[in-house]
Amino acid sequence: MNKDLDKVRNIGISAHIDSGKTTLTERILYYTQRIHAIHEVRGKDGVGATMDSMELEKERGITIQSAATYCSWKDIDVNIIDTPGHVDFTVEVERALRVLDGAVLILCSVGGVQSQSITVDRQMTRYNVPRIAFINKCDRTGANPERVVKQLREKLNLNAVMIQLPIGLESDLEGMVDLVTMKAIYFDGDQGNEIRYEEIPDNLKDDAEEKREELLDAVSMFSEELMEAMLEEEEIPVELIQAAIRKGTLDLELAPVMIGSAYKNKGVQPLLDAVEMYLPCPTDVVNTALDLDNDEAEMTVSNNPDDPLVALAFKLEDGRYGQLTYVRTYQGTLKKGETIFNTRTGKKVKVGRLVRMHSNEMEEIEEAGSGDIVGLFGVDCASGDTFCDSKVNWSMSSMHVPAPVISLAITPVDNKAQDNMSKALNRFSKEDPTFKTFVDHETNETIISGMGELHLEVYIERMKREYKAEVEVGAPRVAYREAITQHADFNYTHKKQTGGSGQFGRVGGHMEPLEEEEYEFVDQIVGGVIPREYIPSCDKGFQASMEKGMLIGAPITGVRCLINDGSYHAVDSSDMAFQQAAKGAFKEGYKKAGPVIMEPIMKVSVEGPSEFQGSIMGSLNQRRGMIVGTSEEGSYTVVEADMPLSEMFGYSTTLRSLTQGKAEFTMEFSTYKQVPKSVSEELIKEYENSRKNG
Amino acid sequence: MGYEPLVKKNPLRVLNLAGNDKKMGLIMARAGLGKTALLVQIALDSILRGKRVVHISIGENLEKTKLWYDDMLEIILQECSVAKPHELIDMVQQHRMIMSFKESAFNRARLEERLNDLILQDIFKPDCVVIDGFDFTNMDHEDLEDINNLMESLRLQTWFSATSHREDERVSPSGVPAPCHELDDLFETVVLLKSEQEHVQLEIIRHNSDACSGDVHHLILDPATMMVKKDD
Repeated sequence: MNKDLDKVRNIGISAHIDSGKTTLTERILYYTQRIHAIHEVRGKDGVGATMDSMELEKERGITIQSAATYCSWKDIDVNIIDTPGHVDFTVEVERALRVLDGAVLILCSVGGVQSQSITVDRQMTRYNVPRIAFINKCDRTGANPERVVKQLREKLNLNAVMIQLPIGLESDLEGMVDLVTMKAIYFDGDQGNEIRYEEIPDNLKDDAEEKREELLDAVSMFSEELMEAMLEEEEIPVELIQAAIRKGTLDLELAPVMIGSAYKNKGVQPLLDAVEMYLPCPTDVVNTALDLDNDEAEMTVSNNPDDPLVALAFKLEDGRYGQLTYVRTYQGTLKKGETIFNTRTGKKVKVGRLVRMHSNEMEEIEEAGSGDIVGLFGVDCASGDTFCDSKVNWSMSSMHVPAPVISLAITPVDNKAQDNMSKALNRFSKEDPTFKTFVDHETNETIISGMGELHLEVYIERMKREYKAEVEVGAPRVAYREAITQHADFNYTHKKQTGGSGQFGRVGGHMEPLEEEEYEFVDQIVGGVIPREYIPSCDKGFQASMEKGMLIGAPITGVRCLINDGSYHAVDSSDMAFQQAAKGAFKEGYKKAGPVIMEPIMKVSVEGPSEFQGSIMGSLNQRRGMIVGTSEEGSYTVVEADMPLSEMFGYSTTLRSLTQGKAEFTMEFSTYKQVPKSVSEELIKEYENSRKNG
Repeated sequence: MGYEPLVKKNPLRVLNLAGNDKKMGLIMARAGLGKTALLVQIALDSILRGKRVVHISIGENLEKTKLWYDDMLEIILQECSVAKPHELIDMVQQHRMIMSFKESAFNRARLEERLNDLILQDIFKPDCVVIDGFDFTNMDHEDLEDINNLMESLRLQTWFSATSHREDERVSPSGVPAPCHELDDLFETVVLLKSEQEHVQLEIIRHNSDACSGDVHHLILDPATMMVKKDD
């Protein structure tokens, strides 16, 4: 392990599904000599790409889990997080981004910037991740890197600048011109491992000069020296240009664009050079933690290996040797045999085995310095936990975790499946914070919930394959919520004084809608009308009431409960009595507070040929959608709409048959909104029927 | 609706936007003076009056156009108190549809097809269309008449923006600069944006004079917010 932090790069590779991310990672591992043969994603040899280690991933040709892999290029240590491309798994992407310092955004030279790239890019902006764009698949028919650059500017608002120029395109792709050094690069040998630098071909010279001017214009604002050299029309040193590109990239004000074809082994090594030159090392990035001993004050982590340890567990995997926890160290050194503690649980654990991961193979190491990404064995924790040594009590700021929007009931087919299922569910909910599971006490069914149909489907598949748990799956259900719309007073007395020990408590106050937050309890009791010790009982009673609303039994959110009146009985009042009184008060207030049902609204983007725009809009409109807008580029159209999730089940089939399979859609959770009256009545009726029958 | 106070407060009401249904209006200026800002305010005014607006944005993307609305709405909400701002934001979203086109993808036939898609399928029934970034340079009188007829038959009020250029000094007798100098009779309202020292002046060359109320002069675009206001 290299101790010099400026020789470390923690990078992510993220992109739209099928843009060749896994293929590119595979090539990187090959050229950095981590693997000695190249396997294709859906290759005939049946081996599958190295990074797609889960069986299911090999079969579907998509990457589900982000596996961390270490390799070294020249004298640089590179940790690569292979991030999933499908929108349902965005929590994986987000978690990966949290620990990365830089990223390579892969785009398809034909498909360009698609809706998923926009989602991923938005997340990168949220986590301030500098990025390089790599336009892959330049060997494909219809490849048009310049169009993709334009889209990067228009759709992602990136200051995208090409630093390479293709030599030939589509099947004629031979190599590329490096606009910084003004050399042509060719890739020889079976696997493109011999790089040949040549003079720029004559037919490209003018074009290259012109593009270089554009590049210099764009980067000159990041370097005064460069600007001066340009004004004086001097020969501009290559290092000066590289430094300016690096500065612009790190400031998130420039996105250098590279091109190539990973599948045809072209352009991968220059990309690795660019990772070294233009992406940040751990000390270039400011990361902050919250000091739990000091009212969660924000602290900047030092990156110093001699400082107290701060490390973040960002991913868990169930490996052959027990739980494998991926951690990133932000400062201090993680050593084998040392004791560290989990700042969330306060539990101490000993670092047993420390490994560096290479997809599903591993290498034992003794210690990991700050800025490094490694695996820990035998450490019980949840994803997102922070580990420190005893000197500090910090927590890396919490990660943005969206609430699940869809759920379904699963029933194990037999007793054996029952056991395995609970093991699997336990594991999955630890690994993935957006995957939740609970037992519905009324129906006795096990419910799983997550971010989309595919998200849950994958877990059901994994249950079958990895845990041999066969389950029957119910129809997907939308995670509705209930909320109140107006202020309402309550004044409720809970009284049971017939025989035995009595119960007495009276709670008075009001409830009102609360935006942004889920719940707030306000205590304005004066004069001890409710004794101090029973105030928390009232809070508990309200919170319990929020679990199940009275309209359709969905959880209630966004309520502020304020108590300012009450009374008690010297003998008959108790914790229990006040909890009951609060429940009664909540019920009384809720009825008067204009309760409504809320449903998840998804941001949907449908892309397809323009000729189908009318029918695409029609299909969205029929599904209670609100069309936000359309954008038309020649023969290609994107329709954006806000859609209720409940109306999106089976939409892929509808869309396919409407457009002869030529359109595709993506969706992500946007917000919760009140359901229209007619739907609300329907839902209430359905709920009442199920209660009668069940 | 409950947004009448906002409508009344709008200095644009002197143009009597509600009165000239089914007619075409034009906003002209050199690049960068605030044509889009003014078009968005005209659209918002219609929306606040309960009308539906299709915003056609040529050569600009959907996201940017949406941002214009968000920004303008935010300023309105800052300046005027509205009881339930979320409801207003929702209402604006429901009464607005943005269609963005690449320059080369937009023409009269496409416009008709898209508007018919919306109207016939009952997806969105607009009362007003604003067309930002329309290229008038290759448009003759007959072409525009044709568009006028289309919009009239669909009973739509239409607002265009057009860019004038410093080097082209042609001007119509009524003062409408090129490239619209030969088309000016087709517009009922023409507003020119002119850069003054500290602000942008709205010069109203032509308007529906019968219905026009109040002082149509002395309107400016506030350079900080790009909102129309009276020059006091």
